[in-house]
Amino acid sequence: MTAKIRNALTSLLLAAITAGCASNVTLPPPTIPVPLMEKIPITVGLRMPKNFYSFVHQEETYGRDEWSIDLGNSNAAFFTQLFGFMFNDVKLLKVADDPALMNIDALVEPSIDAFEFSTPSQSRADAFAVWVRYRIKVFDRDGNQVANWPVSAYGKSSTEGINDSESLQRAAVLAMRDAAALMIMKLDAETGISALAARESPAVMPAVAPVTTDDESDTGIQTTAMEDEPDDAS
Amino acid sequence: MTRVKRLTGMLGLALLGMALSGCITSRVEDARIGSTGIEDGESVVIMAKSYHLGNETEEKYISCVEDALARGKDGLKIIPHRQFVDSLFPWFEPRTAPAETKNLPRLMQRPGVADRIAEQRVRYIIWLDGDTERVAGGGSLSCAAGPGGGGCFGFAWWQNDADYNASVWDLQNMESDGTVSTDVSGTSFLPALVIPVPLIARTQSKACKALATQLHAFITSENA
Repeated sequence: MTAKIRNALTSLLLAAITAGCASNVTLPPPTIPVPLMEKIPITVGLRMPKNFYSFVHQEETYGRDEWSIDLGNSNAAFFTQLFGFMFNDVKLLKVADDPALMNIDALVEPSIDAFEFSTPSQSRADAFAVWVRYRIKVFDRDGNQVANWPVSAYGKSSTEGINDSESLQRAAVLAMRDAAALMIMKLDAETGISALAARESPAVMPAVAPVTTDDESDTGIQTTAMEDEPDDAS
Repeated sequence: MTRVKRLTGMLGLALLGMALSGCITSRVEDARIGSTGIEDGESVVIMAKSYHLGNETEEKYISCVEDALARGKDGLKIIPHRQFVDSLFPWFEPRTAPAETKNLPRLMQRPGVADRIAEQRVRYIIWLDGDTERVAGGGSLSCAAGPGGGGCFGFAWWQNDADYNASVWDLQNMESDGTVSTDVSGTSFLPALVIPVPLIARTQSKACKALATQLHAFITSENA
């Protein structure tokens, strides 16, 4: 009987050693509080890339731990909620939708340039940290790009009193809140989006805003805000 | 006779309890700039300075100070920090929170901010800065187990320092009333002769109680 128990314990120990350490964390769609701000009085179209609906990021730490975080549709939920708070009216556009026919003042295409996190074993601190860099492209109703603004955000959560998965989830949510705070504070100043409401619509819509693919957003062709200044109102 | 035995037993337990804790030294100081005082219904918020600025004040420590200030019949009315931050989103996020009192007037002019603070009757914001760190340690302890049993032998020790600083901001006058700081050092021991006997110095807990006691006195006394 004792030999059996010993064998079972040895097997368990061997299994634990050889199994490696892989952790998978799934982030439920985050919610942000209603911000104290005046809405920007324009109608925007919001077109999000495919990976905003299913985003998975993996980190391997010195070959010991493998961490993966599944954001699912968190980015889509986050931008939908945030822009709903920020603008008078938000229309969600699918890839096939023609913005010229949607009666909007501006089209916003967010994308994700980078997502990284550090674990306590990497940072030698009892905390997870998450960095995320979004890119916000703004087009006028004629399809001209008027701004390309990178938004870098950071969140950090201690592991104290919660498990590692919860800590990583919280750090990710804090990074998104940080991005939200930055966009609420500076989106209009950096992109001039509110000025697009004053522009008159031409008789014929000549162009459709290009659909940004994931590949394009990775190239980082434009890196500064307001690279193309909006034209004067025609 | 029974009563004497019971008293002796209690005294023994108390002495054992004292013996089974590590050594702690603490220092608390305050520096007052303005006059304080708090009226019935007015509340206090305890916040950590931003981690964007490198501050690492533990969530547990903030909660401990909140609980300690609210405790007792003279306890202060505390608004939980997360509730306060959410109610004023995004103006008290790590990125956006005011770093100095001179930023308060501009903050109060933002839509809804002054109203939301007034609704909660927040009189003071206390900004905590600092953390608890292990600064030294040593000794050697080894444990072994075999078919006939197991045990440990050796001696280990470590020293934790808890340094915290609290800045008290008066939202009524939009000025800083001063600071309270605490510096607690505790050394824990772990001797083991077959069975390890931990003698733990509760450094952070002591720093929490010391700071909360001094903060309570700082806020409630109406001296300039």
